[in-house]
Amino acid sequence: CVLRGCVPKKLLVYASKYSHEFEESCGFGWKYAAEPEHDWSTLIANKNAEIQRLTGIYKSTLKNAGVELIEGRGKIVDPHTVDVDGKLYSAKNILISVGGRPFIPDIPGSEYVVDSDAALDLPSKPKKIAIVGGGYIAVEFAGIFNGLQSDVHVFIRQKKVLRGFDEEIRDFVGEQMLLRGIEIHTEQSPQAIIKSSDGSLSLKTNKGTIDGFSHIMFATGRKPNTKNLGLESVGVKLKENGAIEVDEYSQTSVPSIWAVGDVTDRINLTPVALMEGGALAKTLFANKPTKPEYRAVPSAVFSQPPIGQVGLTEEQAIKEYGDVDVYTANFRPLKATLSGLPDRIFMKLIACAKTDKVLGLHICGEDSPEIIQGFAVAVKAGLTKADFDATVGIHPTAAEELVTMRTPTRKLRRTPSEGKTDSEFKAAAGV
Amino acid sequence: MARKMLIDGELEKHSEEETRYDFDLFVIGAGSGGVRASRFSAQYGAKVGICELPFHPISTEVIGGVGGTCVIRGCVPKKILVYGATFGSELEDARSYGWELNEKIDFNWKKLLHKKTEEIVRLNGIYKRLLSNAGVKLFEGEGKVVGPNEVEVIQLDGTKISYSAKHILIATGSRAQRPSIPGQELAITSDEALSLEELPKRAVILGGGYIAVEFASIWRGMGATVDLCFRKELPLRGFDDEMRAVVARTLEGRGITMHPGTTLTELVKTEDGIKVRTNHGEELLADVVLFATGRAPNTKRLNLEAVGVELDKTGAVKVDEYSRTNLPSIWAIGDVTNRMNLTPVALMEGTCFAKTVFGGQPSKPDYSNVPCAVFCIPPLSVVGLSEEQAIEQANGDVLAFTSTFNPMKNTISGRQEKTVMKLVVDGETDKVLGASMCGPDAAEIMQGIAVALKCGATKAQFDSTVSGPTFQSLCSSLCFSAFISFFTCL
Repeated sequence: CVLRGCVPKKLLVYASKYSHEFEESCGFGWKYAAEPEHDWSTLIANKNAEIQRLTGIYKSTLKNAGVELIEGRGKIVDPHTVDVDGKLYSAKNILISVGGRPFIPDIPGSEYVVDSDAALDLPSKPKKIAIVGGGYIAVEFAGIFNGLQSDVHVFIRQKKVLRGFDEEIRDFVGEQMLLRGIEIHTEQSPQAIIKSSDGSLSLKTNKGTIDGFSHIMFATGRKPNTKNLGLESVGVKLKENGAIEVDEYSQTSVPSIWAVGDVTDRINLTPVALMEGGALAKTLFANKPTKPEYRAVPSAVFSQPPIGQVGLTEEQAIKEYGDVDVYTANFRPLKATLSGLPDRIFMKLIACAKTDKVLGLHICGEDSPEIIQGFAVAVKAGLTKADFDATVGIHPTAAEELVTMRTPTRKLRRTPSEGKTDSEFKAAAGV
Repeated sequence: MARKMLIDGELEKHSEEETRYDFDLFVIGAGSGGVRASRFSAQYGAKVGICELPFHPISTEVIGGVGGTCVIRGCVPKKILVYGATFGSELEDARSYGWELNEKIDFNWKKLLHKKTEEIVRLNGIYKRLLSNAGVKLFEGEGKVVGPNEVEVIQLDGTKISYSAKHILIATGSRAQRPSIPGQELAITSDEALSLEELPKRAVILGGGYIAVEFASIWRGMGATVDLCFRKELPLRGFDDEMRAVVARTLEGRGITMHPGTTLTELVKTEDGIKVRTNHGEELLADVVLFATGRAPNTKRLNLEAVGVELDKTGAVKVDEYSRTNLPSIWAIGDVTNRMNLTPVALMEGTCFAKTVFGGQPSKPDYSNVPCAVFCIPPLSVVGLSEEQAIEQANGDVLAFTSTFNPMKNTISGRQEKTVMKLVVDGETDKVLGASMCGPDAAEIMQGIAVALKCGATKAQFDSTVSGPTFQSLCSSLCFSAFISFFTCL
């Protein structure tokens, strides 16, 4: 999070957003004598200074809490013993929280590929970059490099980016990315990377070869860091992808060994890791067995424009609840009417038709991540559409749209058909 | 008095049937409240007429425009100017992120003004279409109440036409007031400030409310020297005291010169600009002096006293919980009733009015936990009770949780400006009584919190919500402190 994830990512997103802001500001009267240019090395140097500062803070936080910090590589020897670079330490409980690392498939030329770690520390800004992957990391870096004026090409296996997200959000963010100048190559699987004599890289996929890349980045998933920890020999059960199997209390198959965070591959988000860690501390040392709660965990994708979401996607809501009412809004925010840019905001609220509970919220547009947090409290608390509607809007904001959605865009009703085991759906046109 | 029923240009004879009104509802004023009430009433089947003064960005007693203050000379143009002004500091910060920009970036005020005007004209057109699409008949002219069921509209050419209505709704809003200070004619109000021909190099603002504070930020963001003079020790009276102090600090940090405990005694025109004298004997020179000392309800020319409609001492129309005046067929909503002068509240009042009168569902607007925002730079947004109000109203202990931190974006830009978030909690019930934030995106952030607060969410519910990688993440993990706490993570 601090060194090579959330924090540096967000700083780079901030840096890259400025190019869009320069464009926007023109509509508001600001004029530049020359087109602003970006110096990558200044950004990286400042970014590195900041993450160094944060590392220092984390060290102080541990120290102030009386935690002994030992630098070295830890390995489990037995249920109560850890080896750090040759020195042994005994512990009543052992917690494994080694996180995950980027995964790059083993294809010809993969040695020329950069992962997200390297992408955050490149010696120079990419001129033309191929990003292979359709998840949040790929999409975020696409926005970052595009904003910093690189020529960006994204290669995805699916038809749309961000598999697993609400379908309409996937459509919307894809469109907005295209409008910002990012090229998305769909239904392509990487097969090889070829380096030419002039140093440029080519990407060969099932659909052909594209040349001329200065950099090729793979954002093709992350795998838990469980190799060489001594887990198998001590009897800690792992899943197929290497993640540590834990129960609801984060306990592994060995009673004195526990695991939290990305290494358990539950919901791989910092605040969730914080929740898991907090719950474990309560369980072990406050005499309050506490299970982390995974319902209605909000999250964001810092694409440009960004996404904020909490709760179920429309597809999940239909599966779980059957009858749902879907409210959507797709509008041009005030800022865009002046900037003249094609920026838009998409919002979706999914309510259970029976109980009126808000099952999911999905937003894509400027400030979405900031907007979603307060609403996440409401969704987690099980509030209804009526509760939302009873809340007066803050004007003028984009967020007020979420409390002023009057008419469902569609009402989905499950109509059981006779003789069949599957249910059929009847989508009534919005009233 | 002879009534003329003008329908499609033809004069019709007075019908012999039982009393038929020209309209089920006649609305005076097509601003936020008036338009909402008209449309919703029409949707319930009412025959609705509405009148509004002719359009111009600067209002007078006889000039206004469809869309009202919010669209033409309030919320919308204000926000546009705030956006324009915010870019100033954004561009400064961009340098630390590696952007190479000229020393000074040109700001063309006239371009922004032109685009702002384009936008409000566009919205004015949209509001007219909203009314016609709803089947509401719009009349241009000045409306007066002539009887419990009669409205008179003075058209632009001076002719007067009367309309009878089963119900009359007054939604004429409010206008900026000018204090009677010698030389006051040299000063402007917010109307003019939103449409100035030239951007002032030096601005003096009198007032401590949200309008004064917002314009201070706007002009400062555009490069002007700004002096903000207000009567109290802190601006934004009525807001949480701790947050008022935060705003004052932030404004100062942005280079606005604050003059607490100050009023202006005289304005004099000189060759060098407007010389302004304060009650401390200080003299300031300004290109523009803005009076932002309050707004008064627009009731003077409505003929209300003659008809018997009661007003309060500020000139606001007195109404009950259903927005009904002392005359059963006359109602009033929005700023003219001086309850909570916010567009979304006027919309709520309009909706409730329509439901009550035409929807068969008597509905009272609910004024509890109404969120709002002050768009200074960075903005302040609040919902629920201030700490002072909570202490006054609560039975037991009140807990105040605050988090003061340097937002991530500032860590690289080096901008020394802290964001402050605050929750006020009932010690007994754990209910969150109030929430406030001063920092970038405060208004966007507060909306969702307002939903939770409105429904009685507890601090525990806030805490159980997993946070996301935003400023807001700190709200779910605020450290307990009686006064100020310092959250050191990120």
